[in-house]
Amino acid sequence: MNLNYNLTTHEKKVLLSFNDKHKLTPTELAEKTNLKVEAAIHASFLLEEKGYLSVVDNITKQYYLTKEGENYAENGLPERRIIDSIDEPVSMEELKNKYSPQLVGIATGWLLKKGWAKINDGKVIPQSKAEKGYDEFLLEKLKSQSIDYKEAESNKEVLKDLIKRKLVYEEEDKSRIVQITDSGLALLEEGIDLEEEITQITADLLKSGEWKNKKIRPYDIKKPAKKTFAAKIHPYQRLLNQMRSIFLEMGFTEIKGDVIQSSFWNFDTLFQPQDHPAREMQDTFHLSSRSELPDKYKRHVAAMHEHGGDSESTGWGGTWSEEIASRNVLRTHTTAITIKYLADNPDPPVKAFCIDRAYRRETIDPTHTPEFEQLEGVVMDKNMSFANLLGCLSEFYHRMGFENVRFRPGYFPYTEPSVEPEVYIEGMGWVELGGAGIFRKEVTEPLGIKEPVLAWGLGVSRVAMLKLGLKDLRELYRSDISWLRDSEIFKF
Amino acid sequence: MPVITLPYTDLEDLTSSESSEIISRIPMIGADVERIENDYIDIEFFPDRPDLYSVEGVSRAMRGFLGIEKGFCQYNVKESNFKLLVDKGLLKIRPNIVCAVVKGINFDSNSIKTIMDLQEDLHWGLGRNRKKVSIGVHDLNHVQSPFRYLPMDKSFKFIPLDFSNELSLEQILVKHPKGKAFAHILDKFDKYPIILDKQDKVLSFPPIINGNLTRVTEDTTDLFIDVTGLDDTVNIALNIVVTALAERGGTIESVSIEDLDGNVEVTPNLKPVTWEIKKKDIEDLLGIPLRDRDIVENLEKMRYGVRKIDPETFEVDIPAYRADILHSYDIIEDIAICYGFDQIIPQFPESSTVGSGHSSSIKEDKFRELMIGLGYFQVMPFTLTNEKVHFEMMCREKTPGVTYLLHPISEEQTMLRTNLLPNLLEILSLNQHRELPQRIFEVGEIVENEINKHHLAAVSIHPFANFTEIQELIDVIMREQGLEYNLVESNDSAFLEGRRANIVVGEKVVGVMGEFYPKVITSFGLGQPVVGFEMQI
Repeated sequence: MNLNYNLTTHEKKVLLSFNDKHKLTPTELAEKTNLKVEAAIHASFLLEEKGYLSVVDNITKQYYLTKEGENYAENGLPERRIIDSIDEPVSMEELKNKYSPQLVGIATGWLLKKGWAKINDGKVIPQSKAEKGYDEFLLEKLKSQSIDYKEAESNKEVLKDLIKRKLVYEEEDKSRIVQITDSGLALLEEGIDLEEEITQITADLLKSGEWKNKKIRPYDIKKPAKKTFAAKIHPYQRLLNQMRSIFLEMGFTEIKGDVIQSSFWNFDTLFQPQDHPAREMQDTFHLSSRSELPDKYKRHVAAMHEHGGDSESTGWGGTWSEEIASRNVLRTHTTAITIKYLADNPDPPVKAFCIDRAYRRETIDPTHTPEFEQLEGVVMDKNMSFANLLGCLSEFYHRMGFENVRFRPGYFPYTEPSVEPEVYIEGMGWVELGGAGIFRKEVTEPLGIKEPVLAWGLGVSRVAMLKLGLKDLRELYRSDISWLRDSEIFKF
Repeated sequence: MPVITLPYTDLEDLTSSESSEIISRIPMIGADVERIENDYIDIEFFPDRPDLYSVEGVSRAMRGFLGIEKGFCQYNVKESNFKLLVDKGLLKIRPNIVCAVVKGINFDSNSIKTIMDLQEDLHWGLGRNRKKVSIGVHDLNHVQSPFRYLPMDKSFKFIPLDFSNELSLEQILVKHPKGKAFAHILDKFDKYPIILDKQDKVLSFPPIINGNLTRVTEDTTDLFIDVTGLDDTVNIALNIVVTALAERGGTIESVSIEDLDGNVEVTPNLKPVTWEIKKKDIEDLLGIPLRDRDIVENLEKMRYGVRKIDPETFEVDIPAYRADILHSYDIIEDIAICYGFDQIIPQFPESSTVGSGHSSSIKEDKFRELMIGLGYFQVMPFTLTNEKVHFEMMCREKTPGVTYLLHPISEEQTMLRTNLLPNLLEILSLNQHRELPQRIFEVGEIVENEINKHHLAAVSIHPFANFTEIQELIDVIMREQGLEYNLVESNDSAFLEGRRANIVVGEKVVGVMGEFYPKVITSFGLGQPVVGFEMQI
C-alpha cells in the first residue's frame, strides 16, 4: 500500500520542506511551502496525528528595559552618576541642587547598599573605588537587545533587583518548532508524489472530463460520521398504523366518531345499568351539556333496561331515566362509536374497526393516563359464534406479532360470553391484553341488530409499552425530542 | 373490583382438594390471581359474581368445577316463628327488607372477619355502596322476635356499634364514621329506618350502622340477618350470605316478613328459578357440537340443576345465590367456561367483506407524509388541557365553544383543546435542553362546540427562525393540497405584529401563521425565536 495514501497536497508540501533540515519554524515552513503560516501549521498538526512530524511549543522568558531602564542605560544609574562626580564629602543639599531631590533619594540607598559611600552629618562620603557592577553591564546589553533567562541565569539576583527597581520587565515568548520524525524521514526517503488532488468533484470537472486526469482525494472511511436525524412519524403512530393495516387487510371498514357522546350511546345502549359505578363522576368525565336522544331507539332501550323488553331477558328492573341517558360525557370507550355504527348499519355482514382516543377520569401516573388510544373491532354476520370470535382474536394477535395466545373467561357488562385474551411475553409470562365477547342480546335487540356481533378491544398504550419498551405511558404524549430522534423506524 | 382473600386451610377444608390444584384452576373459572402467599391467596373476582366474594362461595364453585361435587346445591330452610313487621312509612325511604336466622355457627376471629368482608364486598358489588343494598348481621341471643322495621324521628337515640354512649340518629350521621360516610343516602328524608325487637331494643339503623347490643363476637352462635334496600336485589344478597354461612355448618331458619295489610313473605327464598335452554342455541352461540351428556355434565359442574325435558330442550335450575343470570346466554357462557375456552377451536369468520380506511385517516396520513418530508417530527400530545396554557400563556383571549369538564381531576386538565399550537409549545418547553433546531408537528383533532375538527399545526425553534421560514412552509403545504391561498394581515395576539398572517382560501380564513410574540415564547420558558402555524384540514 502506498504510504502517501492519506496525505493531502498541503501535507505533502509540508513534509517535502524537511528535505534538508529536520527542524523548521512556522515562518520557515510557510516560506518553503508557499502556504500561509496557518495552513502550514494546520497541515503539520495533521501530520503529527499521523506520526510523521512533531510540533514542539517552547515557552521562553525574555527581558526588556522599561522607560526608566532605558534612561539609566543611556545616562548611567543614579548612584553611578553621583559617585563618579564626587571625590570628597559633599552635602546632600548640594547634590539635591545639582541633580534632583528624587534622583538623590534613589541614589543614596544604592550607594550605601553597594558600599560605594557612607552618609554622615548630611554628607555623602565616598568610600572604595566604585567598580562597574553586573547590573550596569546588563543594562548596557539590554540597550541593544533583549536577553533570555538562560543568559541572565548566572546572575539571577541582579536581574531580580533590576526587575524590582522597575528598570527591567519580563515577558513570556512562545516559539514553535516543527520537527520531522523517523517515520516522516522514512516517508520522505520513499518519495512523495506532489500531484494535485481533488477534494470535491465539481460541475466543471464533470463537464470538461478533466476528472479523468486528476487524483481524487480519498476520505478516511474509518472516521465516525457526525450524527444526523431523520424526521419521522411518532413510533406510537407507527404502531397505530400497523394495527390499522391489519384490520384493513382482514377486510374491515374503519369508522370514526365524536369525542363527546351522550350517556345513551356510551352506556345505555350497551346495557350498562344507570346506577353502575363506572358511570359516576369519579370514573367518567361529565359535561354540563345534554343530547337529544334518538326516538327510534330510545323506547326500546328503556324497555330493555326496565324489564327486558320483548326478549327473554329480565332487564335490570327499576325505572330508566331519559334525563340520565341524555347527559353528555367524554367517550369512555370507542364502543360508543361502534355500537352506533352497527345500529345505523344493521344489514349483515358488517366488519368494522375503530382506533381512537378514549377518556377516563384516572389520575396520571406511569401506567394510567386520563386519555388513551383504544382499538376495537366488530364482526356482525349470520351464524357468528364464540368459536368465530376466538378465530378473530387468534388472527389479530398473531398478526400483531404475538405467537402464543390463550383465552380466559372475562366479564364485560355488554358481552356474553366474555373472554380475556392473554399473550405470552418472554420474561413476563402471560399478559392480559384487551377484552372480547359477543354483544349481549340486551344490547343488540333494542337497536334492531338481528345477527350476533363479535367484538374485541384493547388499550393500545399497553401494547405500546410492551412493543416500545416504555416504562411510563406519559412519554408517548409528552415527547422527548431526543427519544423521537433516536427511535428506530425498523424497531418493529 | 373486590379482592377476596382465601386462606388455604379454609379453602382446602371447604373444597376437599389441594390448594395447589385450586390455585392452578381458579383463573379458568373467571378470576384474576392478585397475589399468592404462603398461607393465603388474593383473588379478584368479576363484579357479576358476588356469590364468589367469600371463601365459602369459592369452595362451592370449585367443588363443582373440579368435579368433586356436582349439581344443584340444596340448602334447607327450617320454618320458624321469627317475625318482622314492616311499617308502610318506609315505602318511600327504603322499601325492601328480607331477613333470615342462621343457627349453630362456631365463630372465631378469622371467620368473623370473613363474614364481615363478605358483607362489605356485597355492599360494594351488589349494593352500590349501601345505597341499593345494605346488610346487618346480629347476635340473635340479645334480641327477641317479633322485630319491627319502621321510620323513626331523627331525635331517636341508641348506642351505635363501636360507641359507648347513646347518640340520636341525627348525631350519628354527623359524628359516627359510618354515619359521615353514608349520610348522603338519607339526605332527602325527615325520618330514618330503624329495626327494633320486641322490647324496642335497637338492632340496626340501616343502611348506616348496627346497634352495639347485637355485636357479633366469638361467643356468638346464632345470627339474625337483615338486608334492606331499594329493590329485589336484597334477596340475592341475603341468599349469598346465608348459603355461605350454611357452607360453614350453620342451619338456616326462615323469618316471616309481614306488613299491616296482612301481606306475608317468608325469607330467605332459596328456591331456584328455572330456565329452558335449547340445545341449538348452545351450539349456535358457541360454534361447537356438543353431546347431551357434555351439556349436562358442564352445567352440573357449574352447580346448576339440569333436566332434559325433550330431545331439544334442557330445563336448568339457577341457584338462588346467582346474581348474574339475566339471559340464557349467561348460562351458555358457563357451559363454555366449564368446557374450557382452550378446547374450542378458533375459526376465523368466512364473512366476505372489503376493507376501507376512513377518509379522515387517509387525509391525516398524507399530511404526515408531507410534514415528515419537510423535516418535521410528529408528536401526539394530550387533548385535555387548561385555560392557562391554552389562552393565558398564548396571550390569547378566551374563545367561545370550549368544552369544559364538570369534574376535572387536576388543574392541568380542565378542558378539551380547541387549538393544537399550545400543546406543541408545551412540548418545546419540555425539550429546552435538547439540541436545536427543533421542528415538530401534529395532525389531530380538536373539539369546538362539541364537534371534532381536524387541524394541522407545526412549530420550529432555532436562532434564525423567522417569518420567511414559516411562509415557505405554508406555501409548500398549500401547493401540495392544490389550494390557492392568500396571506392577509392577522390580529392573532399569539404572534408578533407585522410578522403574522391569516391563511385565506377563497373567502375563508383557514389558519394562522407567523413569528410568535416574544411574551408567548418566554411564558413557555423558551429562549429562542419560535415560528409556527395552525390550519384546519
